[in-house]
Amino acid sequence: MSILLESKQLSKTFTLGKQNEHHVLKEVNLTIAQGDYVAVMGASGSGKSTLLYNMSGMDRLTSGSVTFRGQELSHMHDQALSTLRLTGMGFVFQHIHLLKNLSIFDNILLPGYLARKEERHKIDQRARELMEHVGVAQLADHDITQASGGQLQRVGICRALINEPDILFGDEPTGALNSTAADEIMALFASINAAGTTIMLVTHDVKVAAQTERILFMLDGQIVSEKCLGKPSRTGADRKTREEQLSNWLFKMGF
Amino acid sequence: MIGKILQKDLLRKKLITLVLFGFIFLSAMLVSSGCNLMLTLTNSLDALFETADAPHFVQMHTGPLDQAEIERWAAAHSLVDVQQTVEMLAIDGTSLFFGQTQEPEADTVMDISFVVQNTRFDFLLNLDNEIIDVAPGEIAVPIYFMQQADLDIGDEVRVVTDAVDMRLVIAAFVRDAQMNPAIAHSKRFVVHPTDYATLRQAIHEVEYLVEFQLTDASRVSEFRNDYLASDMPKRGPSLDEQLFKVLNGLTDGVVAMAIIFLSFLLIIIAILCLRFTILATLEEDYREIGILKAIGIATSDIRRIYLAKYVTLGAVGSILGYLASLLLNQVFVKNITLYFGTAQRSLTMDALPLIAAGSIFIIVLVSCFIVLGRFNRISAVQALRSGSIGESANHIRMLNLTRSTGFNLNVFLGLRDLIQRFRLYWLLGMVYFFCAVIIIIPIHFLTTLQSPTFVSYMGIGHSDIRIDLRQSDDVAERYHRMMQHLHSDTDVFRFTPFVTSQYAVVLNDGSQDFITIETGDFSVFPLEYIDGTAPNEEHEIALSILNAQEMDKHVGDTITLLVADRQQDLVITGTYQDVTDGGRTAQATRQPDPDHILGYTVSLDLQPDVPIDAKVQDYAAMFDPARVTDLDGYVAQTMGNTIAQMEMATWVTGVVGLCISILITALFLNMLISKDAGQIAIKRSLGFSLRHIRMSYLATALFVLGAGIIIGTIFTNTVGQQLVSAVWATLGASHISFVVNPLLAYLVLPLLLIGAVSITTFINLNAIKASAIAEMINE
Repeated sequence: MSILLESKQLSKTFTLGKQNEHHVLKEVNLTIAQGDYVAVMGASGSGKSTLLYNMSGMDRLTSGSVTFRGQELSHMHDQALSTLRLTGMGFVFQHIHLLKNLSIFDNILLPGYLARKEERHKIDQRARELMEHVGVAQLADHDITQASGGQLQRVGICRALINEPDILFGDEPTGALNSTAADEIMALFASINAAGTTIMLVTHDVKVAAQTERILFMLDGQIVSEKCLGKPSRTGADRKTREEQLSNWLFKMGF
Repeated sequence: MIGKILQKDLLRKKLITLVLFGFIFLSAMLVSSGCNLMLTLTNSLDALFETADAPHFVQMHTGPLDQAEIERWAAAHSLVDVQQTVEMLAIDGTSLFFGQTQEPEADTVMDISFVVQNTRFDFLLNLDNEIIDVAPGEIAVPIYFMQQADLDIGDEVRVVTDAVDMRLVIAAFVRDAQMNPAIAHSKRFVVHPTDYATLRQAIHEVEYLVEFQLTDASRVSEFRNDYLASDMPKRGPSLDEQLFKVLNGLTDGVVAMAIIFLSFLLIIIAILCLRFTILATLEEDYREIGILKAIGIATSDIRRIYLAKYVTLGAVGSILGYLASLLLNQVFVKNITLYFGTAQRSLTMDALPLIAAGSIFIIVLVSCFIVLGRFNRISAVQALRSGSIGESANHIRMLNLTRSTGFNLNVFLGLRDLIQRFRLYWLLGMVYFFCAVIIIIPIHFLTTLQSPTFVSYMGIGHSDIRIDLRQSDDVAERYHRMMQHLHSDTDVFRFTPFVTSQYAVVLNDGSQDFITIETGDFSVFPLEYIDGTAPNEEHEIALSILNAQEMDKHVGDTITLLVADRQQDLVITGTYQDVTDGGRTAQATRQPDPDHILGYTVSLDLQPDVPIDAKVQDYAAMFDPARVTDLDGYVAQTMGNTIAQMEMATWVTGVVGLCISILITALFLNMLISKDAGQIAIKRSLGFSLRHIRMSYLATALFVLGAGIIIGTIFTNTVGQQLVSAVWATLGASHISFVVNPLLAYLVLPLLLIGAVSITTFINLNAIKASAIAEMINE
């Protein structure tokens, strides 16, 4: 499989005042291939969200490099980096972060219209198809205040997929949802990955991580261990087994 | 503790604090300066008139007079306190030379007179407001010529005619209570009696000022009617003290009003900004306020914390603004000091500007109280839960993204944001509107003043050349000779003569007044009439607007003239504007009364290829001592000082307007970006670049600016024009129509504003770069 996203000696340091530096990421080396389904886990403050934002170009790394589709992100101009994010990446947030002054349908359309990869009527068509696929087609003309958390998270996924990105990032995508809604979202992610989209998400939830294939464990700004669970069964029959395996492994990691 | 919170908050939001302070400071400074200017003007004018002991009534006269008869009449009139007759030698501009120049003052529109110092009243003063006393060989020159010809003490003045060649050294400059301003076309030079006697032998053009001081100045109108009804000499216009004051105060009065107007606009803008700032701050601190309320802090205590900041800003801004006005006053009162001198300062003159600045502080305080009343409506529970005041979900279906076809997406989003958050943006629009108004109105007014068509507000139709024949014994003969020449001059395309005479008129209540009527053919060089048309028939007359208002007459009414003791009714066909002669003139086509002729005027147009300047000089020599001027020069000399002051005021308001638009854009964007940080971060995470975000905000700002400019321009050309007319109505021009320089008003200025706002927007939007998207998302 070809390498899609790679970091080498990635470091991120926050300066919190005079002579008060906080090293959040310490020389992280990570390779993500096309089609991978990766979860990043670790204790609070381990640097997992920071890793996500630096790998996606939403934050500027302090040293090292991040390469996406062979392009080095750290030296890119804002315009080029934004275009890369717009056309090659999708992002799903814990708190969804839809634009409150746009309808649900317009929130999904917005990145598509901005990218202008194809004619608008085709973008409109794909938006409707995505909404149909995730089960929120009836919410097209609604405001974001008129949908539940789970529905809004599915809308967020549609928005993230409108430009058919190579990779989908998720920062605690089920963190604000109840278990039923969380299961629905994870099922969607599975189908998206099965269709060929690479996924990298951050989670503290073992049940969520168990539905991915590669789990990276972070401690004190470094990836200290990795667990491969392989592809889950389509029926979900192996879910409990995967969760147990993962829990045992995490226990050994001290999580 | 409040002091600590205050200091921290002021330092944290430096730009907002600075901008608010700037508006309050400017407003206090200008209102204080404007107030000081008005007081200084009024007091200096009064002081000048008192020191000069100005006359209450003056009748100009050309021709012989019997002083003994005048004195007898004055002694018999109960209202007369003191009388004097001033003899003036009329010197033509072609005979006058300043400094070392070989060119005479041939182009001047001023009637130049040489006089000796008066002995009873109407004293001519020097720049120290002392009664001028010149020695033989010395001369005192009017301030008008000091400025026009850039003269100094010690420079030479030469009077050169066929019969005399006299050189005089300038020993002083004249402050003349009657004839100071440029709009008064007569100027008095003061010489020693010995030199006057020498000039008198050589120059025979004499005019008189028959002057009176009354026992009761408020009855000057009554006295005027008595005088004009009598057999006293009156071959010339009559004037009174009130008119002298109005003409003297015109230029600086206009500037003072412009400054005060500007300061009011600024305080309105300051209040709007204050309101926006406070509301935005409330929104930002909504959760914190909820916490404070939840733990039991009283609403009044919370309000006091916020109030302290704005009260401090208001107090400091007002005090510093007042202090700055003390420096600015030196600039604004320069013209007053030169023309009127400096009055002794009184308590009122010191107190009122301070009170004016204090009123700005009061306005700020009251505005804060009103806006901070919102504290009462903040519920602790609601604030803790939502953390935001919350904007209404104002989803406008007509502006769905699917309807943005043909638009740049970011421009569309900007327009959409403007409509959705109209209540937020209207403040910015109001400020841009005011900026457009305070920039454009003075410019329109200035281009109107500078336009050759301004003559229409002086009761004159536009022509190439104007020839004025002053009263003299042989004036009728000179007039006929001139007519003969003009008839045969092939350089002349067309011409028409006018004769000015004085008539008695019977008013509505049966009393009599006197009216100056210009008779001639008004169809050749027509005026613009406010109402009706020019008179065509012998029984028709047109009135200046001030005359019509005072006589309570309208188009279609009749007025009754007394001609050779017979009453004659004339129908009023039209009314027009005239700022000369106190705005009280009339026009008719009837034959002039030969016994009451005051002067002759000829307006003429030359053939297209004939140079005007050369012809003016030819006619000046040919028709000497007539005054020959080109119309453009006539307006420029008459309104020159006013135009200069207006130019200064236009620059000031232009710069201030531009600065306000820049400051308010910076303030607004700074706060808007802070408010929209979350939404901006979301867009950035989706792939919006900084360029996209900037374009959106820039589009919104330019939409708002465009609306402000368009509405401001419409307002200027309608209400603004009426406002200016209302001011000039007191002088006789109540229907000013702006002469617009379209390139300047509709292209250059809007582009200047657009450029300033765009640059400011770009600079402020750079603030978005400062934070990483991740930080903004997670905040």
